[in-house]
Amino acid sequence: MSGSLFEQDRKTAVRNAAEKRFRAYGLTAIILALLALVWLLISILGNGLPAFRQTMMTFPVTLDAAVLDKSGNRTPEELAKVTTIAYGKVLATSLTAELAARGIDIGALQPKDIGSLISEESSAQLRNKVLADPALIGTVIPFTVLATGRIDGYFKGRVTMASAALDKNTSPEKLVLADKMKDAGILAMRFNTGFFFLPDASDKRPEAAGLGVAIIGSAYMMLIVLLLTLPIGVAASVYLQEFAPKNWFTDLIEVNIANLAAVPSIVYGILGLSFFINFAGLPRSAPIVGGLVLVLMTLPRIIIPTRAALQAVPPSIRDAALGVGASKLQTVFHHVLPLAMPGVLTGTIIGLAQALGETAPLLLIGMVAFVKDFPSAPPQGFFDPASALPVQIFNWTTRGDPGFVERASGAIIVLLVFLVIMNAGAIALRSRFERRW
Amino acid sequence: MMKDVRLERDVQTTTAKIEARNVQVYYGQNHALKDVDVDILDKTVTAFIGPSGCGKSTFLRCLNRMNDTVASARVEGSIKIDGEDIYDARVDPVQLRAKVGMVFQKPNPFPKSIYDNVAYGPKIHGMTRNKAELDAVVEACLRKAALWNEVKDRLLSPGTGLSGGQQQRLCIARAIATSPEVLLMDEPCSALDPIATAQVEELIDELRSQFSVVIVTHSMQQAARVSQKTAFFHLGYLVEYGETGAIFTNPKDPRTESYITGRIG
Repeated sequence: MSGSLFEQDRKTAVRNAAEKRFRAYGLTAIILALLALVWLLISILGNGLPAFRQTMMTFPVTLDAAVLDKSGNRTPEELAKVTTIAYGKVLATSLTAELAARGIDIGALQPKDIGSLISEESSAQLRNKVLADPALIGTVIPFTVLATGRIDGYFKGRVTMASAALDKNTSPEKLVLADKMKDAGILAMRFNTGFFFLPDASDKRPEAAGLGVAIIGSAYMMLIVLLLTLPIGVAASVYLQEFAPKNWFTDLIEVNIANLAAVPSIVYGILGLSFFINFAGLPRSAPIVGGLVLVLMTLPRIIIPTRAALQAVPPSIRDAALGVGASKLQTVFHHVLPLAMPGVLTGTIIGLAQALGETAPLLLIGMVAFVKDFPSAPPQGFFDPASALPVQIFNWTTRGDPGFVERASGAIIVLLVFLVIMNAGAIALRSRFERRW
Repeated sequence: MMKDVRLERDVQTTTAKIEARNVQVYYGQNHALKDVDVDILDKTVTAFIGPSGCGKSTFLRCLNRMNDTVASARVEGSIKIDGEDIYDARVDPVQLRAKVGMVFQKPNPFPKSIYDNVAYGPKIHGMTRNKAELDAVVEACLRKAALWNEVKDRLLSPGTGLSGGQQQRLCIARAIATSPEVLLMDEPCSALDPIATAQVEELIDELRSQFSVVIVTHSMQQAARVSQKTAFFHLGYLVEYGETGAIFTNPKDPRTESYITGRIG
């Protein structure tokens, strides 16, 4: 080859152009992925962030003994006969009185219409409060109630005067009154603690629907998954990687584990249904069954990275330990496993995070049921019906009231926050263990 | 610093520590080591030399049964240490390896502190009763490995933070901490610079007073410097075995002569 180095020859020019094109393709792919991510975040945050604030009304409630305890003897049996409808009337009367006292013009609205601004869930909350403390009857207590989903939607921009005119559940007059109540300080948007601590609510009451049961159900299942998969997964990996004889049977097991990791999760749901529920007779909708199904699903996903982490430990460390007369077991537990631990923990947490977001198998074992009661403390609580975060999201997206769109997106944010925390934990553990030497 | 190696070359003992008879090693179908007969003397440095793939490391790893960890390896024949066949069914390789220490080609300290590296062997074999005894063993071994003065102020810092030569001396200290009778060294200086090599070679010469040392080396100069006996391996056969001086100055086999003069290898 002759010619000046200052001039690119044809081949070099072609090669450089190819490299430039490849860089452009790569950059385009990354930009597209980032745009998709940004779109996802904007959509979820835009829809979901309002779920963390809730419209509430605070006013003094007169607990009229004539309505709530007609017999007047305060026996629990008599009190329990009074339904939430009566409590709803008490709330409506009290709110009407408060509006009158503040001189707020209610226009043509009747006390019944004013009561319909208040969530039915609040009647139940007031009833529970009174049943827990009958001495309150006859007194006036300050009480905070939830506004209905339509009023809440109005302050979040979901409901407009025009849409309210067509809606039999609300009317423009009610929205006008709500605005006045807001100006008077009776009604306000507050941080929605109920979203984290309340159980699910019926189709008509999106304002009261919370993730309490779902968070507890998911936490119970994660506990089961962690307690079972970590020891079983690590023991299986260590045996396969360090002790198992290399023969066709071991190969068969290895191939099967790799395949199991790729089996669609719904198949594990069918297995759980037929084995844990139909054969073993465990209760439906219970975290124990959900947890066990997720254990089966997570095990291969933990064994594979754990084996990779064990394999990545340099053989020279094994030689060194064996060379000073350590037994195989001592070599593994004193040297190999501690060095593989960052990888093992990372694999475990990522497996847990996958299990946390898994929906399909839980649908099949009945965790999609409407659960209003909190499960008790473990271990008994493992057998009580519960929901799970991803299933709750799925459940809410299928409901009619637009208030549930906001709830579902809010629940997605909660789930994503948990996942980000877990992954950050994995990264932190990894860097902490690796920094030791 | 180097001592006059020619004075050291005289073999001081004649008792055989290791007797190998008719040793065959197979890796699957591959017959890697053929008909090896050799007597390795006590309190002597024996060097194994030969071109790559000649079987010298394979034979070394037979002497402490490290080949057991290779699934496809199969050893035939008899290897006796102090008259006991180490491949007898009653022999536990773990016990054997406490008696036959090993130093590897690449320095491989545990990613633990310098102290823990040396203390690990005595700990797992229950050789000391208390911390004071263990401290004494660690100090003694580091002194024997000529490392004590360099590390005595940082015993708790990681062994992997030492230089290559220091790491290899740490590995030697670790190997002698279990009070072995035989010390196997698989090309212990191949990853070291010339100065570290000189230090390790000097150390090997001192270790001879207490151990039977077997060293595999690629460097004929090193074999000549440190060993009293030399064995030349070629294509799986033990071609020639004898006094180091005799092997290098007056080889009997033409293959040995070709290797030493650089025509094969």
